[in-house]
Amino acid sequence: MAAASAAQSRKTETYTDTKRRDDVRGVNIAAARAVADAVRTSLGPRGMDKMISSGDQAQEVIITNDGATILSRMSLLQPAARMLAELSRSQDAAAGDGTTTVVVLAGSLLRRAQTLLSAGAHPTAAADSLHRLATRAVEILHSMAIPIELSDRDSLVKSASTALNSKVVSQYSSLLSPLAVDAALSVVDPAHPEILDLRDIRVMKKLGGTVDDTELIHGLIFDKKASHSAGGPTRIENAKIAVIQFQVSPPKTDIEQSVIVSDYAQMDRILREERNYILGMVKKIKASGCNVLLIQKSILRDAVTDLSLHYLAKAKILVVKDVERDEIEFITKTLNCLPIANIEHFRQDKLGHAGLVEEVSVGDTKIVKITGIKDMGRTATMLVRGSNQLVIDEAERSLHDALCVIRCLVNKRFLIAGGGAPEIEMSMQLAAWAKELQGMESYCIKEFAEALQVIPYTLAENAGLNPITIVTELRNRHAKGEKNAGINVRKGQITNILEENVVQPLLVSTSAITLACECVRMILKIDDIVTVR
Amino acid sequence: MVDRLLKDDAVQEKGERARMASFIGAMAIADLVKTTLGPKGMDKILQSTGRGRSVTVTNDGATILKSLHIDNPAAKVLVDISKVQDDEVGDGTTSVVVLAGELLREAEKLVNMKIHPMTIIAGFRMAAECARNALLLKAMDNKEDSDKFRSDLMNIAMTTLSSKILSQDKEYFADLAVDAVLRLKGSTNLESIQILKKPGGSLKDSFLDEGFILDKKIGLGQPKRIENAKILIANTAMDTDKVKIYGARVRVDSMAKVAEIEGAEKQKMREKVQKIIGHGINCFINRQLIYNFPEELFADAGILAIEHADFEGIERLGLVTGGDITSTFDNPESVKLGHCKVIEEIMIGEDRLIHFSGVQMGQACTIVLRGASEHVLDEAERSLHDALCVLSQTVNDTRVLHGGGWPEMVMAKEIDELARKTPGKKSHAIEAFSRALQAIPTIIADNAGLDSADLISQLRAEHHKEQSTAGIDVISGSVGDMKELGDIRVV
Repeated sequence: MAAASAAQSRKTETYTDTKRRDDVRGVNIAAARAVADAVRTSLGPRGMDKMISSGDQAQEVIITNDGATILSRMSLLQPAARMLAELSRSQDAAAGDGTTTVVVLAGSLLRRAQTLLSAGAHPTAAADSLHRLATRAVEILHSMAIPIELSDRDSLVKSASTALNSKVVSQYSSLLSPLAVDAALSVVDPAHPEILDLRDIRVMKKLGGTVDDTELIHGLIFDKKASHSAGGPTRIENAKIAVIQFQVSPPKTDIEQSVIVSDYAQMDRILREERNYILGMVKKIKASGCNVLLIQKSILRDAVTDLSLHYLAKAKILVVKDVERDEIEFITKTLNCLPIANIEHFRQDKLGHAGLVEEVSVGDTKIVKITGIKDMGRTATMLVRGSNQLVIDEAERSLHDALCVIRCLVNKRFLIAGGGAPEIEMSMQLAAWAKELQGMESYCIKEFAEALQVIPYTLAENAGLNPITIVTELRNRHAKGEKNAGINVRKGQITNILEENVVQPLLVSTSAITLACECVRMILKIDDIVTVR
Repeated sequence: MVDRLLKDDAVQEKGERARMASFIGAMAIADLVKTTLGPKGMDKILQSTGRGRSVTVTNDGATILKSLHIDNPAAKVLVDISKVQDDEVGDGTTSVVVLAGELLREAEKLVNMKIHPMTIIAGFRMAAECARNALLLKAMDNKEDSDKFRSDLMNIAMTTLSSKILSQDKEYFADLAVDAVLRLKGSTNLESIQILKKPGGSLKDSFLDEGFILDKKIGLGQPKRIENAKILIANTAMDTDKVKIYGARVRVDSMAKVAEIEGAEKQKMREKVQKIIGHGINCFINRQLIYNFPEELFADAGILAIEHADFEGIERLGLVTGGDITSTFDNPESVKLGHCKVIEEIMIGEDRLIHFSGVQMGQACTIVLRGASEHVLDEAERSLHDALCVLSQTVNDTRVLHGGGWPEMVMAKEIDELARKTPGKKSHAIEAFSRALQAIPTIIADNAGLDSADLISQLRAEHHKEQSTAGIDVISGSVGDMKELGDIRVV
């Protein structure tokens, strides 16, 4: 190690022309920091939302607090800034929450990196020490973690509430968090307990009412009315449901065809044949005992015609048409039935059974609700209501974040305190560790460890408290050994955060620090921007 | 009276100016990629001005050069050299361009000393011969000892990966790459190694899987696991059987006939499916769409049907399972079916994929890459590809050398001796060649932020002793013993 430091001290004798390199690096870091500063004010329970207008003459407007959404809507040109936007997206994909945290962390790390570079550190040395820092930080987080069981519903509700606290819908968190937890728990497959596929949970939006009217439905809903044009039934009990992928309409070949008529008697005959054909199909459907029909949208020809609707209504069959092809998988999974592609294959065993199928009015539109499904598959559906479209969209995004948080807990069953506590703890332990190291590495790690304190600093700043006082007191309490002391924004002081039920999944914090470090390493190693084809 | 010989836009340059233009162009290119050389080399952002404005971050010389806008013809030649190096060997694409640039730089100085270019070329040729012979003499071959060979391969892989993004996990990935290549058993056909990218997780979650993975889900209502699979691979339309004549129409005179025709179409599809089933298969993979009706027929017959498989996947699947890709189904006897032991659905992250294991072509394997973002995954794939190319070449030609600037110094020493023995102006050219060679370790040291002039002079002194194995150790920042440090590269 002595030889190493001796070799490095001789480096100053060389002359290297690095102006272009420094320029490009400086530009990259400045751009990335600008992006990080843009989202800083959204962090935490007192964070503000951003309104983003896009499209022609600002037609499309979105109000959101979610970092990933903000960054993906900003039209960024500079490549380093776009890397930060992608960083936020990766955090969204990996953990679902903490998307703003990760960008703020990356911005702060880059600021420290710039100081290091101007002090003469080689970028690769800084990048390497950052990697070691990330590994060590994850270890520290693991030591702070609290294990939980999936049966502990309370802790799950607490973490979901913490995730929802910083969003627009925070005052409804006492309603939405239990909903999210119930939805998620009903979807978990006991055969694969560490996997939660969020595609099994459908969130449907309907304008009207307030967010209070959001509900979790143990069944299925369709954002369509039952077909009324022929006066069919709108409520069926003890339903046998068939999902069909063929068309109940006059026969049409795939090749273009035309029917040539040479005298008027033939015209009559044609009409009669058409009627008989459809009647035959409807009879077969009725014979199997089916009384609810879900018809897939077809691109080849009309799925149903007025005539077929009339016959189906007479046969007292409730019809829902225009079901999308990609929804079929979700529907068949929920109803535990198979789709039928041809009238010949219409058999009893392909039908699904449900207790009640009815059309309800929701706001000023109607939807079809199926409940009491026999052998229901492991899926869940949520109906989100709201007073305006923007609120509904943000509520859906927040719900998605809460569901992701629960997914993290299913993946890695550990919790960690929130409120800036993990960041300060990591910062202090890493600084202590840096003192044991030597050379450039020690200097780099010390700087980067201080960078982590930006999170509690920003939390305090956004809450209107004096950040320096708060952060120094936080450091003091952690030095005394209170690992779970964090910023309580409601009271405006430092308290034991665990008692306040502010918790977050371990996966969110570990993935935030690993992803931020990886992204910063990549930006540091870039020394040139080349425009190419 | 020679009027206009050339077209309006064409430009003609002669003599001095032409040579100058070529030199400058080539040196500009070499200078561009210089900073990516070595384990402490930097990356570059490639920002595309085309549609999508995509951004690529890379360290690989060939990738950077392939995407540049270049006017200067000499520079284009350099880019071609890099491409050829990439195709033939896979690694060293930056070194070759830097070497060419340095040689041209030295040659420019010689031209200014009024030495004729042909003399310079002759001198360079002699120097190149001598250098190659020197390397071949000193190369080591560990073909016999399989343990040592494997550790050689590991070291080579680690050397290749050390300048790329995978450098932090290089042991893990070196292991992966060596396993994959050893399975190939000597063939350089890298087609059978598939690299699959799935965002999510971290680089350490990547793994090597024997067998083949297809990025598709199994259709509804079909068996999720098949043993002793016989696979039929096809490229046929299973939705509607249109006549491919534009404007074809059918004229009938009653609705019943239309119904009949519709029935006939369905029957045709049913027969097609029956023919397919008649091959005695239990898995059917189609490149195009399989619409609802045939899908249901297959499900009823208990056959696994996969649609929309991409073209590359199909070709690889055919190669790997030993099956032909068919479009007609009339002759079941003449069709070769693919075989594999087990087909099942697996989950990676949150996506479901289909896994074929126990395939006929035992060399096939799949490397699944996981990573935080698309950029990371793309760069990881490029680095892994480089490592795999190099390793497969080594398995063929098993001679290896130490790395870290050692081969360049050895060659430089031999060439210096040759220069001293050669009379005439050629010797100037030969000396220049040696100087150019020494530029490579200089640049590696520069990129690492070390004092290059000092280190090179130390290296030269070391090499003066016989049988020296000294090279630059960028981690400690000084001259080190390459044998101990295990920095190895391919002849």
